[in-house]
Amino acid sequence: MEKSQTAVNTFVKETGAWIAAQLEACTRCGMCAEACHFYQGTGNPEYAPVWKVELLRRAYEQRFTLSGKFKLALGLEKAVTDADLTHWSEIDYYACTMCNKCSMVCPMGINLGPLIHDVRTGLSNAQAVPADLHAAVEKQEHEGSPLGVTDAVFKQRIEWVADEWEIELPVDVKGADTLVVFSSIEIMKFPTNLAAIAKIMNAAGEKWTISTKGREVVNFGFYEGNEELTVLFASRVFDAAKELGVKRVMVTECGHAYDALRWSAANWMPVPAGIEVTHIAGVLGEFVKSGRIKLKPGAYDNDGTITFHDACKIQRRGSHIQEPRDILNILAPKSFKEMTPNKEQAICCGGGGGVIAIKDADPVRYAAFELKIDQVNQIGAKTVAMACSNCRLQFTDCVQHFNLDWKVAGLAQLVADALVG
Amino acid sequence: MASFTITPVEKGIMRCRHTGPFTHEEVRALASFLYEYRGKLLIDLTGTTGEECARHIQQFRPMMPTAAIFGADIDPSILELAESYYTRPVRYFKTEAEALTWLRNQ
Repeated sequence: MEKSQTAVNTFVKETGAWIAAQLEACTRCGMCAEACHFYQGTGNPEYAPVWKVELLRRAYEQRFTLSGKFKLALGLEKAVTDADLTHWSEIDYYACTMCNKCSMVCPMGINLGPLIHDVRTGLSNAQAVPADLHAAVEKQEHEGSPLGVTDAVFKQRIEWVADEWEIELPVDVKGADTLVVFSSIEIMKFPTNLAAIAKIMNAAGEKWTISTKGREVVNFGFYEGNEELTVLFASRVFDAAKELGVKRVMVTECGHAYDALRWSAANWMPVPAGIEVTHIAGVLGEFVKSGRIKLKPGAYDNDGTITFHDACKIQRRGSHIQEPRDILNILAPKSFKEMTPNKEQAICCGGGGGVIAIKDADPVRYAAFELKIDQVNQIGAKTVAMACSNCRLQFTDCVQHFNLDWKVAGLAQLVADALVG
Repeated sequence: MASFTITPVEKGIMRCRHTGPFTHEEVRALASFLYEYRGKLLIDLTGTTGEECARHIQQFRPMMPTAAIFGADIDPSILELAESYYTRPVRYFKTEAEALTWLRNQ
């Protein structure tokens, strides 16, 4: 079977009343383009979100509508070809972080992010995924981590952090209340985040644990749109949570993982009843509000303006908008300033959705980040805080690429360094 | 005496000279430096032994910027790390001159 036929079959299979209604509702007004940081950053009209779902639209119209069948028969519209898959693979994987800002501006209320995810599913089934991204997916499938956090590496890393940061990192504790699951970026690139989060959890008196079986929260299957692997990777965390008997799973500073586990998993698999999935941003807010941890007021008021970057999957999708602001208003009441736009209207960093894992996507990733540079420079911020390690990797890489004089800080790190008592 | 010192070599390159056993505080300080630093690194092990620094170099490897290492006999396999989007190239050289030449070309 041709690849294109596999993709079309997937699109047709995915298409039910919801997708049909979304596609029929589109008036081609183009407002979604203005919301897309890749379109804004490059001016490439092919990056308009509505164009990113073109293959899905064609498959739907040509299979399910009379006008679509006529257009195809008369040669007024083309069937999906293998060359189309290659072309849209670049559009949908290189130039989309699935941030879903486009859906915020659509006057018809079309939820474009999930539609683009459906296109990715078709491309994944047709094996039309960028090689770099697929290699990471395969590593997660076979080694347990897209970044090489094998059993041995995880053990060494945890021991090193516990030893050198002189912090207790409980492992595989049955009966703990909270299972903390880190992302591999934190484990490998930002290990100080492990120590910071451990310090906070211990200071709050939380009964918590990490798991050797459910050690990786990132879900590269979700990035790729491979539903079978998305379920497999989410299952590793849920199975560990059930085995340890925890009440909640806390996703650390990772946005897509939070979306996959908290919001999307239930669409694909039975999620364990009675186990809450939450994010570190929400937990930090809860700890501060309840007085379980105390922060030094004004701890960062002497370091210049500090701002907060809203991560698409944690703030816009996950609604943890207020907690980081409450915290920063304690830590830097005089220096904390908002970028514009912000909160649920914030501009994505450009590195999420697997984009940063694709080397050939670097030019568009950097182009999209230029919007962020303008935002930060407009308020003269010296420090940009965030609660997503993928955003943080994009920021630290872009700070080097563009030679920017900014500090890039994780929210948990700021909190840990300002703990009192 | 500190277990490492950071000094400039030339624009865009700093020398990190490892001079003895790390304390916990020094490991944390070096981790912070590697997180903040945006340039290339010349890692000079002339003040220490290969055995002493092997464990730490292996743990610091994923956090390193583009770096050239020289000055003590280390097993180059401790620098091996699967290529990934978050990693930077790090290589071991027998001499400082070789290390610096390679670093300048990165």
